[in-house]
Amino acid sequence: MEEVVINIYNIVGNSLCIASDDGEKVYEQIKKALNSDKIAKVSFLNVEMLTSAFLNSAIGQLYRDFSEEQIEKQVKFADLDPDDLATLDRVKRTAKSFYEDPDRLRKSIEDIMDD
Amino acid sequence: MKKHDLIGVSSNFSGYSQIIDLYHRFKNWEYGEIDLSIQEWFDANLCSALGSVLDELSEDFKIIRISAEGRTREILQKNSFLSHYGYPSIEDRYHTTLQYIKLKPPETRFFSNYIITNLLKRPEMPTMSRALTKKIYESIFEIFANAQIHSESDFIYVCGQFYPQKHKLIFTIADNGIGFKNKINRRFKSNLTAVQAIRWAIQDGHSTKTDIPGGIGLAILKDFITLNKGMLQIVSNEGFYQKDEQSEFFSYFPDPFPGTVVTVEFRTDDPRSYSLASEKNERG
Repeated sequence: MEEVVINIYNIVGNSLCIASDDGEKVYEQIKKALNSDKIAKVSFLNVEMLTSAFLNSAIGQLYRDFSEEQIEKQVKFADLDPDDLATLDRVKRTAKSFYEDPDRLRKSIEDIMDD
Repeated sequence: MKKHDLIGVSSNFSGYSQIIDLYHRFKNWEYGEIDLSIQEWFDANLCSALGSVLDELSEDFKIIRISAEGRTREILQKNSFLSHYGYPSIEDRYHTTLQYIKLKPPETRFFSNYIITNLLKRPEMPTMSRALTKKIYESIFEIFANAQIHSESDFIYVCGQFYPQKHKLIFTIADNGIGFKNKINRRFKSNLTAVQAIRWAIQDGHSTKTDIPGGIGLAILKDFITLNKGMLQIVSNEGFYQKDEQSEFFSYFPDPFPGTVVTVEFRTDDPRSYSLASEKNERG
C-alpha cells in the first residue's frame, strides 16, 4: 500500500496545534488518504504544542468514518513526543467510546442528577 | 453617576463574588455612568473576569470610569487593562505581568503569538524543565480551546501574572458566553444546576459536542494541576469549583457570572513534574 506523508506543521502553518478547525484540516487529509487505500503517515515533526481539541478533530473523528482495524492498519504516527503520545492515546480511547456507546453521555448526565 | 467599590479582590470565592455583584447591581441600569473604584488590591489575572463583566455592562451605553491608586494602579497600567479605560500604558520593567487582551474566539494565531511573546520568549521566566514548560503552556491552550469551542462568546478575555518570588504563574481566561450549565442543559435537554454542570464537565470524555468526541481538555488540565500541586478554579453561571493541593470543593454564588472564568495557578518550581515521560527517556 502506498504511503503518503501528512505534515502537520505544514498544514497548520506553525508549531502550535491548538484549534479544532486546524485539526479538521488534518482530518480531511487523513480521510482522503484512507479513502484512496493509502497509508497515512502523520508526521508531527517540528510540532511543539498539541491540544486535545486539535487531536479530537484531527484523529478522534476518524473513528466515526472508519473501523478501528482500518485506522490501526492505515494511519501511522511519526515524530510524536512521548507525552503527546499519551494525549493521543486518551483521544483515541475517548473517540472509540463516544461512537460505540452514544448514550453514555446522556447516562452520565442522569448519574450526576441522581447524585 | 453611581459609585461602586471593589475592595481587596483576590482569586477566591469572595473576589469573584465582588465582580458578580458589580455586574448584577448595574446590569439593568441604562445610559448611566459607573464610577468604579478599585481599592486595596486587585489580583491582576482577574482583569480578564472584570473586563468581561465591564464589556457586558457597556453594551447598554453605560460609561465606565475606573480609579485605582498606588501599586494596584501601576500593575493594571503595566498589564494594559487600564489602557481600555483612558489610562496610558506603562512599561513593565520586571516583566511580571502577562498583558490583558480580549480577542475573538477564532483568533487562534493571535493567541499563539501572545503566548510566544508573553511567555515562551521571556528570559525572566524561571528555568523550568522542558516538560513542565510544555505542560503549563498546553494547559493554557486547552482552556483557550475550550472557550473557543463551547462558550458561544463574542470575546475571550485573557490575563495573567507571574510571581517570581512565590514561584507561581497565575492565568485567567474569561468569556461572556452561555456558561456550562446552559450549554449542557440545551444539548441534553436536562436540568443540571451550575455546580452539577461543572462537576460533569471536568470528568474525562464529557463533552456537549454532538458529532466529534471531546471533553478531555478540562480533565487533562485537572490531572496536571494535581501533579503540579497548583490550583484550578472554575466560575460558570452560579457555580464555583476549586481544586488545590489541600482540597476540592464546589459552591454556589447567589447570582450568576455572565459567562465562564477559568483560573489556573501553576507552581513553576515543581520538581515532581520533571519526571514526565520525555525527560525520563532523555535521562535514560
